[in-house]
Amino acid sequence: MSTTWLPCGEYHQSYKEDHAWFQTTFIKGKMILLGLILFIFIPRFADSYWLSVCNQIGYTVLGALGVQLLIGFCGQITLGHAAFVAVGAYTSTLLILEFPWPRFILDIGLAYPISILIAAVVAGLWSVIFGLPSARVKGFYLILTTMAAQFITVDFIITQYISQIGGRGQAFSLPPGTIKIGPWIIDSDLKVYYMMLVLTILCITALANLLRSRAGRAWVAIRDNDISAEVMGINIIKYKLLAFFVAGFIGGIAGAFWISNLAAISPEHFQWFWSLWLVGVILIGGVGSIHGAIFGSVFMVVVLELLQLAVIPLADEYPKLLMDFLFIKEATFGLAICAFMIFEPNGLAYRWWQVKNYFNLWPFSY
Amino acid sequence: MTEAVESSHDDILLELEDIHMYFGKVHALEGISLKVKRGEIHSIIGPNGAGKTVMMNCINGLYHPQKGNIRFKGQNINGLKPYQRSQMGIARTFQKVEVFGGMTVLDNIRLGRHNHYRSGILSGAIYVGKTAREEIEHRAFIEEEIIDLLEIEHIRHKPVGMLPYGLQKRVELGRALALKPDLLILDEPLAGLNLEEVEDMARFILDVNEEERWKVTCLLVEHDMGVVMDLSDRVFVLNFGNMIMDGTPTEVQNNPEVIKAYLGEEDLYATRR
Repeated sequence: MSTTWLPCGEYHQSYKEDHAWFQTTFIKGKMILLGLILFIFIPRFADSYWLSVCNQIGYTVLGALGVQLLIGFCGQITLGHAAFVAVGAYTSTLLILEFPWPRFILDIGLAYPISILIAAVVAGLWSVIFGLPSARVKGFYLILTTMAAQFITVDFIITQYISQIGGRGQAFSLPPGTIKIGPWIIDSDLKVYYMMLVLTILCITALANLLRSRAGRAWVAIRDNDISAEVMGINIIKYKLLAFFVAGFIGGIAGAFWISNLAAISPEHFQWFWSLWLVGVILIGGVGSIHGAIFGSVFMVVVLELLQLAVIPLADEYPKLLMDFLFIKEATFGLAICAFMIFEPNGLAYRWWQVKNYFNLWPFSY
Repeated sequence: MTEAVESSHDDILLELEDIHMYFGKVHALEGISLKVKRGEIHSIIGPNGAGKTVMMNCINGLYHPQKGNIRFKGQNINGLKPYQRSQMGIARTFQKVEVFGGMTVLDNIRLGRHNHYRSGILSGAIYVGKTAREEIEHRAFIEEEIIDLLEIEHIRHKPVGMLPYGLQKRVELGRALALKPDLLILDEPLAGLNLEEVEDMARFILDVNEEERWKVTCLLVEHDMGVVMDLSDRVFVLNFGNMIMDGTPTEVQNNPEVIKAYLGEEDLYATRR
């Protein structure tokens, strides 16, 4: 599924060409167009509301990438990913609020970028702790141990202890101006949008590179057949934990990024439902493909926004619709997953592949 | 005298010494001893359920025998995990193909070279530079040595799960060879193949055993007597956890006990001919 199609009669001359990301001029042009749309077209023409929708998509992509790595590529089913996002968010917030940063670091605006990096590493290590049971258990049992991660981290440690730090009560509010990267204070949707783009592209590139090098192949091998993977020389426990680390790392980046979009963070942002949501996103997008994480996030976020837009005009007649919107949202989520499981179990990414396959050598594709 | 012992010891790649393996009350292996010399094709035959696959699993570490020693290159490997044994140079193929169905043929073979790659997650995530160089270097090896040898150029980008059984077996052999092993365990490499594929596979096994740049010692578990007798330097006969004999193919064919236990009264060469 992963090969690119070359125009009829064209062949690669070197291994380097065959290993390249964008192998034909057409694909390069397509990617440049995508870049132009993302970096120029959307910021220019989208209003603040649609920018915030884009930010929501970016946050979901960052969260779903980690879940995709664990479930889709390494075969370790996880239902506690929101815990690692929460660890990232809280680590970054606490570092910004409580850490005695030297004056010059604050002045050049490095505090937040450094805190993102530290938050990612802390979330990665935290994820490794809860990945340890994967050395012994598989499948359903692993789902339970990762759910334990969710409840221990968010409902117990963060709610009971971390939230008490500084005596602010449940929510940590970030004073305006504290979220600053270099000379830019991240205070508008547009700035958050650019930051989201950069982080998402970095994470996707890093993950895609990992998946075509040694570690990624080991992960996929563990997913497909762990016994023969071990016989072929893969230290299974080490690579499972590495997968947990990388997934937690990306989750930590997601959390640390998301605080820039929130006025205040509280445990309610990282409930178990969010973990489940991320799994639903990759089921809809397609398990075992990076495209899947992106398509799934776009689909879920956009569908819900459209649903909301549809409900608002109806609210005059049926006020209950607006009051119960949360339930409608959850029902839609469930319905979408059911529909995808029945009609397209391979997800949107597979549909995308089918479309590309159809237009390969079109109109004479035989 | 001592010198002679040492030199013969050098010659022995793998040594099993009095291996006992029980599953509950079932004695899968009862005191098996085996010496595999460097450069030989050593076959193991026996009726179904004789314990051949258990023996292979003991050698590459999937099972740990309750009693006995396994030595590889003169070193005791009893306590080592499968991946550590593969790092020492033991590769294997499985009776029921155990390929990575979701990966392409090329990725399967690249995975076999896992031990030879050096990049970690940091350089892997950056990719440019060290990892890219390494990928190309190993790609050249895989293309020139393995894909060319096994004649699978046309399917290198296909997911293995979608290939027919015979090709999957061939990919599995390629994956094991990518490790550049000293000892290759082949667990029924010919099961379920048609005549042409059997001939191809036998030729591949002979090639990697004899060619100067491979020189792989093979441990072959197989039911096809014609192939076993033609390929092997030595044959080890196993019957319900006990060794019947270990000798050259001619000796084995003429041993009345072997004939009684396994080969039957018919002419050996009746199979496949």
